[in-house]
Amino acid sequence: MTALLSIRDVSVDLSAGGWFGGTAPLNILAGVTLEIVPGETLGLVGESGSGKTTLARAVLGLQPISGGRVRFDGRDLIQPADFRAIRSRTALMFQDATASLSPRMTVGEAVTEPFAIHGVAVNNHRDKAAELLVEVGLPPEMAARYPHELSGGQARRVGVARALALKPALVIADEPTAGLDVSVQAEILNLMADLKDKHGLSYLIITHNLALVRHVADRIAVLYLGRLVETGPTRAIFADPRHPYTRSLTAAEPKPDPRKRRTDLAIRGEIPSILRRPNGCEFHTRCPLARDICRTQPPALKDLDHGRAARCHFAENTTEGGRHELEY
Amino acid sequence: MFSGVRFRALRALLSDPMGALGLILVLIFVAMALFAPWVAPADPIKLNVMEKFQPPSLAHLAGTDQLGRDLLSRIVFGARTALSIALTSVGLAGLGGLILGMIAGFGPRWLDAVLVLMFDSMSSLPMIMFALAVITIVGPGTGTLILVVVLVSIPAYARLIRAQTLSLAGADFIVAERAMGASSARILFRHLLPNVVGPLVILLSMDVPIVIMLEAGLSYLNLGVRPPTPSWGNILYDGYTSIRAAPYMVLIAGLPLVLSTLGFTFLGEGLRDALDPKLRRGAAR
Repeated sequence: MTALLSIRDVSVDLSAGGWFGGTAPLNILAGVTLEIVPGETLGLVGESGSGKTTLARAVLGLQPISGGRVRFDGRDLIQPADFRAIRSRTALMFQDATASLSPRMTVGEAVTEPFAIHGVAVNNHRDKAAELLVEVGLPPEMAARYPHELSGGQARRVGVARALALKPALVIADEPTAGLDVSVQAEILNLMADLKDKHGLSYLIITHNLALVRHVADRIAVLYLGRLVETGPTRAIFADPRHPYTRSLTAAEPKPDPRKRRTDLAIRGEIPSILRRPNGCEFHTRCPLARDICRTQPPALKDLDHGRAARCHFAENTTEGGRHELEY
Repeated sequence: MFSGVRFRALRALLSDPMGALGLILVLIFVAMALFAPWVAPADPIKLNVMEKFQPPSLAHLAGTDQLGRDLLSRIVFGARTALSIALTSVGLAGLGGLILGMIAGFGPRWLDAVLVLMFDSMSSLPMIMFALAVITIVGPGTGTLILVVVLVSIPAYARLIRAQTLSLAGADFIVAERAMGASSARILFRHLLPNVVGPLVILLSMDVPIVIMLEAGLSYLNLGVRPPTPSWGNILYDGYTSIRAAPYMVLIAGLPLVLSTLGFTFLGEGLRDALDPKLRRGAAR
């Protein structure tokens, strides 16, 4: 199947420059390559500062890219006009749903805003707003409310309604459950899954929470310091993570039996600053497997079995128990 | 349209005693200015030298001046002069500041740099000095006054709007509009404009008394409104020159100046508190 969204070798550099050139550019994203096929849900996982939100904005042309290529449905996105042409077929859901709604616009105006922007004729805006609200499980009376009068979960549903107004092909959801109670988180995820089945959407779900995407994503991509460190089908990633970073993320997930939790895999310390990327493998400063080669040689993203790829010198032999073979 | 937000702000304004007092004072002066010909008991510029320097009486509630003109009528028509100059100039300056500020905040960076440089050089000039310079070149009069106020106040308004625009341009709801494909014009007028005008309205209402004072001050110096047009500044000057013959004149001309200044200041402060949800007392929902 041809990819709906194809990101090839995309880099984003931010220059903090002033009048006289300023400082060296910050390399936020370094050569990220991803694909989403129609109907697929891709989970993009990474810590704060790993560049996941930047990637979402780069895909939609809200953040200029400094290298690489973004294709949507076979069309290269280069000029602002290219992005404008796909705006009605993509939608972005924000981490802070309340802040993503215009504060002086009612919910009804907000969810029908896409029709107004794209000049789609709507017989009756009130009916259309009610229909969209009902579809995301909100009472139609909600249309008269203002964003600050909504709860976190309600604002999130309004965000979903607005994203789906034009029946897009791709929805990019940035931390769709941030700041919600666990029960509401599940409701939102179920809602998103239902709407996906109903409308045949593709999702790019961006989160720091690996457990969140376990049940909704078909494939997972793990980002570390703006670089892809592992990709693969969700099942494979959870059954047998090949990158030590992914392994520590899966190990950090709460287990029903706390004694089975692997504390030896816990990553230590903070994510390094992109101002000073580590030499060699960028994860070696926190890696429990780090050896001399890791401090000097940057590993390539190696293709492995089951459609997986991992950026680790020991990707082939660091399966469970592999650590012993490495005499660690 | 009375949106919920604005209606609540009005209620909050009225529940604040100072704000309510300010609103009442401002409404009185506005009514006085609008209906001056009906409110004033006599013609404000009709001379009657026989009746000069009459202290307040039933025939002339506020007395008469050195030319026998009815002072109350002159005060009422003075309100018309003061308010029309103040509201016109502050309104024009506010509009100019709004447009320039939004261009600076939303437009390309080089244009922002040029505009900020202009605002900064403009506001480095002392207002009175600048006013006197312009009057020397153009000549005194109502138009000159308005021109001076507009030129002097635009930078302050524009800078406020620019800062608001800049801080909102990166806000999530604006990014969301861009992600949905909204045009720059739509973002500017439908989304940025309603969110930046609030603070400007407050600043404008607090600047009205400053302009009234400037008009009175320049008219007092005979550099503002030309006689015989009634202006509080002209009346004050007449009262000052004949303070021995008619000491009440200074008081009567000073009173509306004080009251209108207080009114607009209270209204501005009340509006600020009413429109800022964080300052609104007892607003816990």
